[in-house]
Amino acid sequence: MLRHIAGQLAQAVLLLLAVIVLIYCLLQLIPGDPIQAMVGDMPVPPALRAALEERFGLNLPFGHRLLAYLGHILQGDLGYSMNYRRPVFDILAERFPRTLLLAGIGYAFGITLGIAIGIHSAVAKHRGVDQAWSSLVLVGYAMPTFWVGQLLVMAFSIQLGWLPTQGMGPMISRATGIDWVLERALYLVLPVATYTILETTRVARFMRASVAETLEQGYIVTARQKGLSRHEIIMGHVVRNSILPVITVMGYSFGTAMGGAVLLETVFSYPGIGSLMVEAVRARDTQVIVGVVILVACSVVVMNIVVDLLYAWLDPRIRLSSQRR
Amino acid sequence: MTSSTFRRRPLLRALAGSAGLLALDLGTSNRASAQTPKRGGTAVVGVSVAGATLNTQLTSNPTPLIIADIWASGLFKYDKTGAKKPQIASSWDISADGKTYTFHLRPNLKWSDGQPFSSADVAFTLEAFAKYNTYLVKVVPNIDKTETPDANTFVVHLKEPQSSALEGFDKEVFPLMPKHVFDGTDIPTNAANRAPVGLGPFKFVKWEEGRGITFERNPYFWDQPKPYLDSVVCVFIPNVQQQQNALYRGEIDVLRPALPQISRSIEQANAKKMFEVREVKVNAAERLSLDVNLTRDIFNKPLVRQALLVAIDRERISKDVYQGLAFPAMNAIPEQFTQLTDTSVDYNKQFAYDPAKAGKMLDEAGYPLKDGKRFTIDFTSATNADAFYAEPAAQIISANWRALGIDVKLSLLEGQLWTDKVYKQHNYDVSMSSLTARTDPVFGVDRSFLCNASSVPYVNPTGYCNKELDDIAAKAGAVPTAERKALYKQYEEIVARDMPHLTLTNAKKFFAISSRFGGIDEEMDLAFNGNPDMAQVWVK
Repeated sequence: MLRHIAGQLAQAVLLLLAVIVLIYCLLQLIPGDPIQAMVGDMPVPPALRAALEERFGLNLPFGHRLLAYLGHILQGDLGYSMNYRRPVFDILAERFPRTLLLAGIGYAFGITLGIAIGIHSAVAKHRGVDQAWSSLVLVGYAMPTFWVGQLLVMAFSIQLGWLPTQGMGPMISRATGIDWVLERALYLVLPVATYTILETTRVARFMRASVAETLEQGYIVTARQKGLSRHEIIMGHVVRNSILPVITVMGYSFGTAMGGAVLLETVFSYPGIGSLMVEAVRARDTQVIVGVVILVACSVVVMNIVVDLLYAWLDPRIRLSSQRR
Repeated sequence: MTSSTFRRRPLLRALAGSAGLLALDLGTSNRASAQTPKRGGTAVVGVSVAGATLNTQLTSNPTPLIIADIWASGLFKYDKTGAKKPQIASSWDISADGKTYTFHLRPNLKWSDGQPFSSADVAFTLEAFAKYNTYLVKVVPNIDKTETPDANTFVVHLKEPQSSALEGFDKEVFPLMPKHVFDGTDIPTNAANRAPVGLGPFKFVKWEEGRGITFERNPYFWDQPKPYLDSVVCVFIPNVQQQQNALYRGEIDVLRPALPQISRSIEQANAKKMFEVREVKVNAAERLSLDVNLTRDIFNKPLVRQALLVAIDRERISKDVYQGLAFPAMNAIPEQFTQLTDTSVDYNKQFAYDPAKAGKMLDEAGYPLKDGKRFTIDFTSATNADAFYAEPAAQIISANWRALGIDVKLSLLEGQLWTDKVYKQHNYDVSMSSLTARTDPVFGVDRSFLCNASSVPYVNPTGYCNKELDDIAAKAGAVPTAERKALYKQYEEIVARDMPHLTLTNAKKFFAISSRFGGIDEEMDLAFNGNPDMAQVWVK
């Protein structure tokens, strides 16, 4: 298993380098001017352009900049942001935990609810409950994230006045300790709820299909004939066997989920890496864009390793086959 | 967020109480003494993202401009009638020959870091920032020399008289910068551009990226006992809908709402009495305009360009796109320049919306309908997050032109892609943008009409070059104000005749400000590109 993971990591490093070069080249091809973005809708004075190009190395040939950047990356330096005038690493270190918090809580709720709904729906297949869940999930799945977010804001912030409309916490606060946590938790409710709806619908559809298929298997029929209770069959046999496809979905949907964070953070003015990416693209802040891509790519790699480990833990066949190798 | 967020929401109030915020709420709950200014409290200003710099000597982006009023100050600014209002300069004289400007500075002032301010700082700002400042580069070539005869006097000697030069020293174009911070440093990358030291009512405290910027009362502010507020927080809300939501919920106190949101803001303001919506009457005109690429054969004849204008229903754009908060522009010089524009040139009469007439003009120009089509136009515009007007206006214009048999290929592009296509590649037929006219035609209008061989963004991309117009513009910027109007009339006539750049509508400007403040009238006594500096208001 360890050899397998080491192999995956080596592949991931090569893939990551290829992605960095590709993104860097693509950003070079896209028209855009970070200095114009800084100045706004007026002409850039030549002296200002010259000074900033010199300072940020924009006057160097593209190949030279790319090689220098790769050199820095290999030394663990993610570069320097033109827009924030700070090392990219510091910016990511500040923003990523916020996204991770939002996505992590939403992901956890989404998967738990999705699995529960999927099971509930599948065991009552073609009955009213199933149809109700399926319709609800389909509606949830079809709604765009930003629209769900806006609806929730209109309902819970504007109409009911229960929750803040945007942000990640008050800019001025005297709270400490648990009060401080509670205060920030209020700001997380709506973005997390939006995220949860998105993730729940995704997982529930897979879980329902997987459970329905498992319920048709011979060993479930045997279990029933052995006189096991409904609860024992579902928890002991169905869930464990049905969850593998869902874990696969979890692995690859993590990247998509990070993409979803871009929209979600924009809707809620939440200062994570999603809104950072939007700002960086607008400002043509190349090194930040590449930094975010590296971070997301690394997260997906880590998530895939976690999925592999979960596979091995849940399915003895995978564990045994990797031991035999 | 301030206490205002929590003042009417039971659940939040309960939770905030546990969070220790109730104290803040109670602190502002006594609103009895509405008329007497008192100290204390925080104002929250909603803005979009700030970008790379707060220093408006180096940027003309809207967010730094809004924030600059809070921390920076200049020699003067404008009141709501457009008249100049003294700031750091208590007065100024202009010599009889129009070549010498003498600014008398307030004595014994200090920067927000406590260091003394003097005329040397003003001279330094001009000397060091002129080459980096997108507006000052228009004035500086005409400056012969500057002098600082004493610590409170700053003198500018021009080579030739230039009446528009004075506008180059207002707060927006020429915010004053501290010599002791910038001298001997690499100015465009100096850290103070993001952590500024200024002469404004509030001093910079911290910038929380992606969240906002905090300022606190500047104890050395020149206009004591102002400011009354303890602090001002500018929160970043990039989405205009969310800005409106935050305003409605009382999470922010001040906002320059996007125009499509204004009607809703006014309705909400009337219904809830939580905030007021004020119009800035004399504003820096924001004008929806079309650049026509004159290097394309079909646009050779001015008649074709004029026909394109006649074919556009500008009333509908004003009504539908701007929710009635814009009006069809009269001519090349914005109506806000009341002393400069001549209304005898009136597009609403000369080029009023008339599809039949436009069709005849195109027939006459040699483009009759053939198989239901006259010619094809590659029509483009930018769709930035704040360019709410782009898509609906472009659709209306496209529909107007298509009705005449013009085949319109519309491309709405991300801002930087559009800039590249129009200003660098010149690969377009007609381009739409919304440009600000600033405080004088020299700074914001000339750029759309004067000869320009470069590929500099936001400068005349049409290929139009008319020496006669250039000469008139140069003269109009130089002669005394009383003589300028006659020259700008000629300017307007030439543009109306040649029509390289079609000015469509002129948008209004508004601010929403929380009713929990006293002193709103004084705060909103502003014009052109002025923004609330929050020095005049107090928490009631």
